[in-house]
Order: sequence, then structure tokens, then C-alpha cells
Amino acid sequence: MSLLRPRVVFLAAFLVALSLAAAKAALATFVSANCNYNAPTSSPNMYRDGSVTVALVARYEGYHWGGGCWNDNDVDEGPNEPLQTSSTGGEGGDCSGLTFKVWRESLNTGDGGHYQWGRLRNVHGPYTAADFKAGVGVPNATYPKADAIVMDAFASSTHIGMVYQRGTSGADQIVEAKCEACGTNIFTRTYRSDSSYGGVRRMGWTG
Amino acid sequence: MRAIRLLCWGVCGLVLGAAAGVAAVAAAGAIAAGPTDRDPASIIDVGHLPPLLRLPGEQATLRFNVFCPSPGKDPFDGEPCDAGGDVFVRAGAAGAFEKIPLRRTDDVAYGRYVAEVPAGLASSPEGFSYYAVLRNETTGASLTVPSAGAAAPQLSLPLERAVVVDLGAHDFGSTRHADARVAEAPWGSAPGQAGLLRGPTFGPIGPSAFDVAANGDVAVLDEVNDRVERWHAGRHAADTPVDVTGGIADMAVEADGSIDVLEPTGDGRTPELRSFAPSGALRSKTPIEDRTWSQLREGPQGPEVQQEPSEQWMPAERGRTWLTRTAQARGGHPGRTLPNGRELVVFRAGTSEARIAELVGDHVQRVWRIVSATPLGEVQLAEPLWNRIVVVIRPYTEAQDEFLVLTLGARGVESSFSVDSADWAETAPLARFRLAGSSLYQLGSTPSGMHVDRFDLEVNR
Repeated sequence: MSLLRPRVVFLAAFLVALSLAAAKAALATFVSANCNYNAPTSSPNMYRDGSVTVALVARYEGYHWGGGCWNDNDVDEGPNEPLQTSSTGGEGGDCSGLTFKVWRESLNTGDGGHYQWGRLRNVHGPYTAADFKAGVGVPNATYPKADAIVMDAFASSTHIGMVYQRGTSGADQIVEAKCEACGTNIFTRTYRSDSSYGGVRRMGWTG
Repeated sequence: MRAIRLLCWGVCGLVLGAAAGVAAVAAAGAIAAGPTDRDPASIIDVGHLPPLLRLPGEQATLRFNVFCPSPGKDPFDGEPCDAGGDVFVRAGAAGAFEKIPLRRTDDVAYGRYVAEVPAGLASSPEGFSYYAVLRNETTGASLTVPSAGAAAPQLSLPLERAVVVDLGAHDFGSTRHADARVAEAPWGSAPGQAGLLRGPTFGPIGPSAFDVAANGDVAVLDEVNDRVERWHAGRHAADTPVDVTGGIADMAVEADGSIDVLEPTGDGRTPELRSFAPSGALRSKTPIEDRTWSQLREGPQGPEVQQEPSEQWMPAERGRTWLTRTAQARGGHPGRTLPNGRELVVFRAGTSEARIAELVGDHVQRVWRIVSATPLGEVQLAEPLWNRIVVVIRPYTEAQDEFLVLTLGARGVESSFSVDSADWAETAPLARFRLAGSSLYQLGSTPSGMHVDRFDLEVNR
């Protein structure tokens, strides 16, 4: 009979609910806890140097395969995720997701307009690195590598990175979401001269 | 009545327990989470290609792109910021600087902010030195490049009496075979194998750097397996465990066997350099000054790192003591320090030209101008070999690439040959070649494994 005392019932119910709620809340991912699915806003202009600033926000925020949502606190809040797993809901974009967002593209591959996605908008976009390399989509075109300038990109069948600045050695500083261990940052790379990479240009820059 | 009361107590317990659970996890998450969002006003960065080596009559134009958020807006708005700044220039490497305000232009391709160096300074036979202070005019955030400013300005030197090397169009497919394969390993994690990292959105990444001792012993940084692998006389000799991040890193082995590894990231906002004893024990680590590096080499007084956006070689160590970031910046200079104390400056100009100069102090001693009808990529290596300079550069087209090895002497190219790029797996950007003695070594890879090939250079003393 003592088990049916009100205080015991309350305590038991409290503990059960506490455990279940805590477990459920603890299972929330970065994406489920922070990201949204808001519509993008259309913008008339798109500047190369302004877009570099968009890319800079993603620095230190990590890499997430298939991802496209990050904040701006310089901490990867989904580190050490397994390869090829998007369901873990970690922070950061992957290479093509970062490019899509920085290049302000549309989910509609036939739309060449400029769309501003919020940094906490979880969106990867319709393109793989191989698509970008092939110039798939109205906004994208293949472009001679030797002539690539800031915010053009180099893409292979598996990876894409955007030009930040060419260096005195002839290698380029590239802003890219590279890999889980590498994160998203500016790295010096030699994609320009590597024949497995092609040049890609986002069309329609204002300046 | 009693049952209803018990039910009420139970429901209350469930509701409060659920609320407490969510609150507890939220509180723990808040404590564990990183800092709140960065203040956008603090974001400022720069893109700048310093004209290290200029031909006679070439205009001395300094161009900068300044990256910062537009006034009052989220950085994600993508509008260019209201930037400005000044360049401080002087003739030669001493004296007072003259201030030139940057002019904003519409040309973002090579730098929206421009300063024309006055002809009187640009035509100085000793060149000119400069630094720039760039600002977000709205927020006041600023950035100096090179980072030490007046204490270690950038140097731009005139090229008089350059030896012109005209390569013409590169003949792809006529590559030389190696004289020996001095290291070889299939992909894997067992002893004698080399780690390979692959993922859905990045190409294969193999051992990211290597080095060769004077006796020809090879050390390969197998960062995927946290070790340095060693080969002696063509045979796998030992593995040395090292505590590395596993990212694409550069490596240099000092004469006493100490291992320096330049990591892509660090605990702070800039990458870090780690020093290991020959046993692999971590001695110490230090952050580098700038946000990005392109290569690591051993200088006569310790490791030097080429850093960006300063685009300078900066010393990292003096007498077994790490230099602070400020001290690194104050030691910045345009070229790599050679064992004889001279300096070797590399400047890849335009799309198909490379300029190489040997400096004594701040004066050009010897200079070569390499021009090509085929686009030239990065200069992978530029090293002295007796009184010559060995250069490895990469001609490329949209579909082909090879490495071209040039031995440069007083009259131009003394010998040259091409080697297959053998770049199936990615390495650190400028870590594919090393020169030891009179042999050139190449870190290469195929889908089956990695290798180090030796090419003997026929150079008379």
C-alpha cells in the first residue's frame, strides 16, 4: 500500500519523465536543435568580395557530409562524425553544399538568380562536385583554369573548392569544406594545375 | 477519490519531470557549447599578391581585396564592405615610409583596392618595400599585411639582367623514368603500408609529405596512421608514432633526426607547428603567425614557414626555442633562407611565367625569368645545387599536367626533363619533391599505393 502514497507516485512519475525527456533532448542533433528550413530571399546583386565574406563565416564551423547549416561561433559542434553519414545532423557544409550557399544558387537548376540562404538554413543544394565540374545547372559553367579568379572554383569528380587568392608560388589559397578531419577553412592547394580538376564559374556576378 | 488524487500526483510528476529533463539537457548543452556567435564587425581578411620581382618598366601597382561585412549587415548578406586603408611605401629597404591612400575600383579580379607606387620609388634600383593597413571603415576593424608592418615590410625588387628561359609549348608525354624507387608501400595501416583517406566529397589523400636525409634515407609522414615511416637503402626500416591531427600537413626532418610537422589547424585560430624528437615524442608545439601556410622548409637556423596572407617566409625557431607569433612576423622576408645565408625568391607571374631570384641581403644576385607557351602551375621546388638552381614547375592544360625539372645555370637551362605527375593521392601543396645531394626525389602515388622515386641529376661541380 505504501507504494501508492501520493509522494511516491509523484517521484516515480517525475523520474520516469525526467529520464525520457533528457534522453530525447540529448539525442537532438546540431541540425535539429539549431537549423531551419526558411525560404531564401532573392537578391539583385552578388559581389565576389562580398561572397568571400559569406564563406568566411563557415571557417572553423566544421564539415558535414550532405550538410549546409552552421552558426558563427568558430566551434565545430558536430566533430568526428563518421564518413558518408548525413543523418548525424552535424554542423557545417560539405564542399558542394558550401559552394552552393556561397554562390547563392537556387534549388531549381534552371534558375540562375541569386538567393540568399541564411547560415542556419539547412540546405545542401542539388549539385555534387561532379555536377559543378561539368557545369551542370544554369548558374554554372566550365571555365579555363588559368583564368580563374577570386570566387571561381576548381572541381573534381569528388571535390570542389573556391579560389580565395593566388599565391607567389603559383599555388592558390582555396576556401573549402574539405573533410571531417580538415574542417572548413582556407588552405593552400594546387587544384589549378591538377588535371583531375576543372575550372568552374558561377555566372551572373554583379562585380 | 484517492485514485484521482494519485493520478493527479502522477501527472504532475510526469509533467515536471519532463520539463526538468529538457531544462537539464539544455543547461548542459549551453555549458558545453562554444562561445556565442562572433561579432561580425571583427571579420576582416585580405587577398593580395605581392609583386616580389618586377621587370623593368613593369607598373608597380599594389592591389588588395578586403573581405569584411557591409555596414550594419549580416556577413551573409554578401555585400562588399566599406573598406579602405593606406599603403606605406619607401625606396629600398630602409628609410621613412610614404603614405598612399588606397583607391577603390570596380576590378575585384585582382584586387578592388589599389595603390600606384610613385614612379620615383618604383624605379629605385634597390626596389621598394611596403606594408598596408586595411580597415573596415564602418567598424574600425583593421588588418596589417605583411603582419609585422614596418618591422618586416614586403619587398619588391627590380629584375635587371634576368636570364630568360623560354620553354615554348610543353611536350606532354615525354617523361623520364626514375633512376630508382627508394620507397614503396601499398595502401593500408600495417607496418610497411601507407594510410589512405577517402571520402565522398574529397579525393584520396595519402601521405602528405616526405623528406630525404643526406644519406638518401627517406621519411614519409603517414598522417592517416599517426606515424612517420622510414626507408633505408630502399627497404622499409621503421615506423615512428607521432601525435598528429591527421589532416594534410607538411613535414621537414632536421639533421639530428628531429621531425617538424606543420599542421593544417591548431588550438587557436592559426595552424600550428609541432616538433618531435627522433623517437616521435612530442617536444613542443607553437602556432604560426598567419591564417594559412603553403610550405615548410628547414633553414640554417631552424624551420621556416611560408605564410599567407603575408606571403613571407617566417622563421619559427631560434636555437631550439619557438618564436612567438610576433617574433615570427618580425622575421618575415620574401624568400627562403638558404644554408649559405642567401635567400631564394620565387614569384609565379601571370599565367605562364616564373621568376626566380637569388638575393644577398636585399640585393638581387642572380635571376632567371622562365616563360612558357603552356600555362604554368605552382613552383614545387626551387633549391640550390652547387652554383645552379634546380626548379620543379608544373605545366598544365585543362586535361594534362606534368612536372618539369630545370637545372638553371648562368646561361639558362643546363638540363631539363619531365616527370609524370604521379599525383593520384593528394599531398601537402608543395611537398611532392625534395632535393638531397645531387638527386631529386618525388613522392608519388597510384591507386595501389605510394612511392618515392629518385632522379639523379647530371650536374658538374
